[in-house]
Amino acid sequence: MYWGGNPAECHPRHFTKYTLMQKSKFLPRGRKDRTMVLVDIRETKSAKASDIFLQVRPGKDFELITILRAMIKEQHVGDEQIAETGMTREVLDDLVHRMKSCKFGCFFFGMGLSMTRGKHMNSAALLTLAAEMNAFTKFVAMPMRGHGNVTGADVIMRWQTGYPFGITFNRGYPRYNPGEFSTVDVLVRGDCDAAFIIGADPGATMPQPAIEHLKRIPTICLDPHVTHTSNLARVHITTAPQGIAAPGTAYRMDELPLPLKPALKSPYPSDEEVVRRINAAIAEKPFWLAEGSQPQMITNQV
Amino acid sequence: MLRITGGKVYDPANEIDGQIKDICIDDHGQIVDSVDGGRTIDATGMIIFPGGVDVHTHVAGGAMNFARAMTPEDHRRTQAFIRTKNRRSGLGGMAPTTFATGYLYAGMGFTTVNEAAVPVLSARHTHEELADIPIVDKTTLTLMANNEIMMDQMEAGEYERAKNVVAWYIWAAKSYGVKAVNPGGVAAWKWGADAKQLSSPIAGYNTLTPGKIVTMLATICDDLGLPHPMHLHCNNLGAPGNISTTLDTLKHLEGHRAHIAHSQYHAYGGDGWDTMCSATAQLAEYFNTHPNITTDAGAVLFGDTVTITADGPWQHLLYKLTGRKWGNLDVENETGCGIVPYTYRPSNLVNAVQWASGLELMLLIKNPWQVFLSTDHPNGGCFWRYPEIIQLLMCADFRKECIAKLPDKIKGRITLPEIDREYTLYEVATSMSAGPARALGLTQKGNLGVGCDADIVIYEEEDDVARMFSHPRYVIKAGEIVIEDGDIKETPEGREFLVKPNYAPETHEFMRPLFEDCYTMQFDNYPVELERIENPVMQPLKLEK
Ligand SMILES: [Zn+2]
Repeated sequence: MYWGGNPAECHPRHFTKYTLMQKSKFLPRGRKDRTMVLVDIRETKSAKASDIFLQVRPGKDFELITILRAMIKEQHVGDEQIAETGMTREVLDDLVHRMKSCKFGCFFFGMGLSMTRGKHMNSAALLTLAAEMNAFTKFVAMPMRGHGNVTGADVIMRWQTGYPFGITFNRGYPRYNPGEFSTVDVLVRGDCDAAFIIGADPGATMPQPAIEHLKRIPTICLDPHVTHTSNLARVHITTAPQGIAAPGTAYRMDELPLPLKPALKSPYPSDEEVVRRINAAIAEKPFWLAEGSQPQMITNQV
Repeated sequence: MLRITGGKVYDPANEIDGQIKDICIDDHGQIVDSVDGGRTIDATGMIIFPGGVDVHTHVAGGAMNFARAMTPEDHRRTQAFIRTKNRRSGLGGMAPTTFATGYLYAGMGFTTVNEAAVPVLSARHTHEELADIPIVDKTTLTLMANNEIMMDQMEAGEYERAKNVVAWYIWAAKSYGVKAVNPGGVAAWKWGADAKQLSSPIAGYNTLTPGKIVTMLATICDDLGLPHPMHLHCNNLGAPGNISTTLDTLKHLEGHRAHIAHSQYHAYGGDGWDTMCSATAQLAEYFNTHPNITTDAGAVLFGDTVTITADGPWQHLLYKLTGRKWGNLDVENETGCGIVPYTYRPSNLVNAVQWASGLELMLLIKNPWQVFLSTDHPNGGCFWRYPEIIQLLMCADFRKECIAKLPDKIKGRITLPEIDREYTLYEVATSMSAGPARALGLTQKGNLGVGCDADIVIYEEEDDVARMFSHPRYVIKAGEIVIEDGDIKETPEGREFLVKPNYAPETHEFMRPLFEDCYTMQFDNYPVELERIENPVMQPLKLEK
C-alpha cells in the first residue's frame, strides 16, 4: 500500500526492483501474486500500476487511518465519518479484509502524508496502524524519502550524535530540536554567522528570509554544478559528482548502504577530499579554547 | 616503551593470582620480558588486570542506529561528552553514540568488544560505525541461522554446500564468526510465525527444523576451524518454562563447541507469567558437566534500557506486553530485528526473577572460564553498568541487601538467597577478560604473557568495588596510555579482527543466480571490500595440520 506517494514518477525503480515486479520463491508470478493499493488525493501516474486506487479527500488522511485502526478491531464507525474521508463502507470493508488476509503487508508513505495537514501525526498514525496489524498478519511501514543521499546523512548523524537532523553543537555536545535547530530555522532566525553547504541547494528551496541570511554571511558551497546556492555563496568549490566521478556510499531508503563506483574521472576533488583538507588546515590552528579552560564532562544535562 | 612496577597482577591466562610483578611493553604495543628506558608507572597499591573483553554486545549497526533514532528522550537526560582537544563529542545512555561508546568502554577498562549481530546486507554500514568507535578493538559475528539460501541447502541435505555458503557469507561480511539467533524463528516471523519447538518444521519449509540448523551450523563452525565457535541465541527466548527448549538445544550440540549467548534469558521455569521462576540450577548443572560449552550471563540490572535483538517475534510480544514504542526491521531473506524500550523494575516479579537469574548463573557455574560478564548490552542493561554486577558478584552481603528489596512473592522462585559464593579478583579477571578472550579465540587478548597485546587496566585498590571498577587509574591500549587519572588522554583507532574461512572456489558463481533470484541489490556490490575495514587484522583458523 502506497500512501501519499507517487513512485511511478518519483521513485521509478521502486516497483521494478523492490515491491511489485520481482519474482521470488514464494511469489513466483511476481506482479500477479501481489496486490497494490494506492491512497492519494489525486489520480497520479502510480494509480495505473495499482489494483485498487483510493482517492482520499485532501487533509483527511489522519481520519482515514484512524477509521481503519477502528475497523480492523471491529469497533463501530459511523457512515458519515467514512463519507467525510471520501470513502464508502463497502470499499473500506473490502480493504480491511484484504489487509487482514494478506501474508505480508507493507505501507510505503510519502510526503503526501507526512508533509500535509497533520504532518508527523499522520506518520505516527500510519506507523501505529502497521504495528496493530501485526495482531492479524505480518505488516510493516517504511517512509519514501526525498532525492539524493538524504538517508545516508541521516544515518551518519545518528551514529555520531544520536540524532538524525535538527542538531546543534553550541554547548559542545549534540542537542536536538527540529523546528529550532533545523537548518531552515537557524537561517531564518539569523542565528549562524557562517554556512557550509554540501550536497544541497537551499538557495533554490528555502524561504526568502533564509536565503537573505545566506547572502549576508560567508557561505561556502561544495557542488559539482553552478546552483542557486553557489551563485550567492562567497566561496564555491567545484567538486567531482558523487557516484559518477567520485566513489562513496549511498543509502537506500531502507537504510541499506550501496557502494558507488565511479564511471568517469574528474579533474575536481571529491567532497570528501575537500572536507579532509579543510579539517587538516583547521587542526593546524590553535585549539579554540585556551589551555586549562577545557570543559568538563556533563553527567546530568540541563 | 613502558614499565609497570609494584602492582598486584591478576592474569588468569598465566595463573598469576595477585603476585607483584613487573610488566614491560615495547614500542609495538606488545608485552615483552624487559625494556630499556621509557616511562615507568609505579603501581604500588594497585591492581593490574588484562583489559576487559566483552564477548557479547551490540554497539554498532542498523539495529543499534535505529534504536538511537527511537530514543531521543534518553539522549537528552544522559551523560554528555563535550568536545575537547583530544575527544569528540557524543552521548552516553542506553544507545550511546559511536565515539562515546569507545570512551565509555575504555573508561571502564575494556579494550576489546564483540559486536554480536551483523546482517551481511548491512555489514558495510556496521564496519563504518565500528571505525568510528575509538580505542577498543572489535570483532563482528554474522547472522546466519535464518539465511534462506543456507537454509535451502540444509533442507536439501547438502551439507558441503551449506558449509561453503556459510564460509562465503563470513568473508562477504568481513566478519569473525557466526551468530545464530532463534534458528528458523526469524525466518518464520516473516510469515508472522515463530519457531519454539526444536523438532517442528519451520514455516516455509517441509523438513528443516530449528534443531537441524543448530547441529549443522555448529558442525560447520567447527569444520571451518573458526576461532570462535557458533555463538547461539537459543529459540524461545524470554518465555516462562523455556529451560526445556534450552536443554533440548544443548543436546543438539553434544560433541561440538558452542557459545550460548545471554543464557539468563533462557533459564526460566513455570508455565506462564504468573508462575515464572528461575531454572538456573538445571542450566548451570549442564554447564558444570559440559566444558565444551561457554556462555555469557546476559545479566539484568534494574532501570531503563532499550532492547535490541534479531528475535523479531519476541520483540513483537514485548511490544504487546509493554505498549511502548516498537521498531521492526526485516533484512530481506537474511534476518530481521526488533527494538523496544524497556524498564526493568524490582517490583515486577518477572523482572526480579530475571535479575536474580543472571547472577545465579554467574555464581552457580563453577568454572569462571565458562561463564562471562555480560548484560547483552543494551538488552539487560547498559555495558557501562558492569561494575554494579561485579559488586553483586563479589559481595554476598550487598547481594542480600538487594534481595531484601524484592517483593515477598519472589520467595521460592529464585535460588540466589541460598548462594554464598563471592567472586575473587582472580575470578573477576577470568570472567571479564581472560575467559571471553579465550572463548573468542583471541589468543593475543586477555593475557599478560610475553608476546600478547599490551591491553592493560590498572585500578587503585579500594573497598568500594563498584567505584574501583568504574574508575580505573590507568588504561593502556596497545601500549599507549589512553586513560590516566580518570581522564581520556589519547583516542587511538581500534582494529578489527577478521577470518577468511576456506570455501570451494566455485561457491561465488554458485551463489550468483540464487542471490539474483531473491536479493534487491547487485551481486557484485554485495561483498564488503576489504579496503573498507579500518585496520583489519587477519586471525588464523584453527585447522588441524
Ligand atoms: Zn545480543
